[in-house]
Amino acid sequence: MATRVITIIGFCTVIAALAVLEIVARRPGSRVPALGEWLGYLMRPRTGRVLLLAGWLWLGWHYFTR
Amino acid sequence: MAANGVSRSPGRLGGEPGRPAADGKEERFARRWRPRGLRLALSAVLFGYAWLAASTRPFTFMSLLVVLLPGAVVAGVASWGPPDRIEAPDRLDIGGFSWWLVIVAVLFEWEAAGFRDNSPWWHPSLTELVNPIIAPYPLRAIAFFLWLITGWALVRR
Repeated sequence: MATRVITIIGFCTVIAALAVLEIVARRPGSRVPALGEWLGYLMRPRTGRVLLLAGWLWLGWHYFTR
Repeated sequence: MAANGVSRSPGRLGGEPGRPAADGKEERFARRWRPRGLRLALSAVLFGYAWLAASTRPFTFMSLLVVLLPGAVVAGVASWGPPDRIEAPDRLDIGGFSWWLVIVAVLFEWEAAGFRDNSPWWHPSLTELVNPIIAPYPLRAIAFFLWLITGWALVRR
């Protein structure tokens, strides 16, 4: 039981950290790029665009088809 | 706008690809004149699709089709160019970006640890935790809708 709770707390902590980082990134003068900015940067080359869109498609297949 | 090496595009809300808004005033203008009614209508259509898609049973051809169809649309739009692409930054501050890298790496490690152990009850993977949450029909439809919106947000980058 304790291990399961620790695992869940771990996931919640990481997801909360992602949310906090996005808030920090949106503050004026922040050095941290916002999620959309670095995703956009990674999607500049065609390979990055294809990989990220493939990841999105995989996510849909994983949660809604399986 | 740019802060310590993070090149923030001035044209984030620009109306046309490759023609970023010059300043905040123009940006506000672009936002004001975006056809909000059209966006609402499109959102309603997407939510309707998500509502129907959520009714398909997993591991069936239909459940595969409802995922592949938006995939094909997104691939087509990505190939031919979306109507209002948001300009991507030219460069990233590696120091700022490393925060994202660390947290995403921790998330993957946490997930991989559960996956390696075959997702036992005492160490579930993220999928094992999310699946029961999106099992009820309305929540599944909302999750599908969010997935569609994410795809559209990605293709605009």
